[in-house]
Amino acid sequence: MKPRLASAPPAAREDVIVFTVGGFSLAISACVVSEVRSLEGLQPFSPGPECECPEKVSFTMHRNGALYFVVDAARQFGLQEARPGRILILRLAATAVLVDTADRMAEISVLHALPQAFNGEERRWYRGLAMFGEDVVPVVNHQAFLAGSELAAVRSAAAAVHAKGVAVV
Amino acid sequence: MTFGEESSFVLFPLGEKRFALPAAMVTELARPGRLQSFPQRTPLLTGVLARRGRIVPVCDIAVALVGVDAPPRKFYLIANRQFDARAEWTAIPVTGECELAACVFQEPGETLPPYVSGVIYMGAEIVEVIDLEQLIALEGQA
Repeated sequence: MKPRLASAPPAAREDVIVFTVGGFSLAISACVVSEVRSLEGLQPFSPGPECECPEKVSFTMHRNGALYFVVDAARQFGLQEARPGRILILRLAATAVLVDTADRMAEISVLHALPQAFNGEERRWYRGLAMFGEDVVPVVNHQAFLAGSELAAVRSAAAAVHAKGVAVV
Repeated sequence: MTFGEESSFVLFPLGEKRFALPAAMVTELARPGRLQSFPQRTPLLTGVLARRGRIVPVCDIAVALVGVDAPPRKFYLIANRQFDARAEWTAIPVTGECELAACVFQEPGETLPPYVSGVIYMGAEIVEVIDLEQLIALEGQA
């Protein structure tokens, strides 16, 4: 039997924002990002050692009356050399993402499946791979930045901090 | 492949030593391409190559086989790996040109690592035949 080769799943055209973290280029669907901001307004988030919060959430920010938990993308991906300069605020989520730069908008017509050879956490991190000419750029899964259980933990910690009278804002 | 029977193998160098893969799983020997890396956690994978519109993961087995002093890799051996019902290319960096040879597949000695599925004799040279999936699995457990 002749093996069937992996083919790219069909996809409609999609606008993405290309950003960088730790020297790597990544992309995120533009429709899940409501705003790209500077670092202004970031507040340290230090819930204490008893909290089971993910360490990648080190800041919060308020925007339009809502509290956002800011995920450090460098920590998410285990990168050392990050120079944060921009925040991507995600739509319909209490999550924002700290990145180095937000470079440009681009359009992709094909989202290549992540090769099966990749079997680590990256399978959760990425929706697939996009090609810009000969450049291959992972398209992130925005839901992986702060999973439901992680969001519940940071919300709970933020509420506890607030109840103690310590400003989270 | 059956021990004692002749099969085709692709012999590839990693520094001073040569290893082999069954020829049936090798698609081609490719010139150096631009390795593109991105954050990921899969052992042995170092990135991907863009090749004729296809994205090919790169699996560098040199350090696992010959240690950290492995010399610079010059070419890519493109192997066809099977994932469930799906086949997929994987590029394996090698340090020099490869050779196709028909040899008798022999049982490996007991002292050889478990990722050696057998050996072939090229004159006085004993070449280990690598079970790529076993090697990758073992590295993943390490």
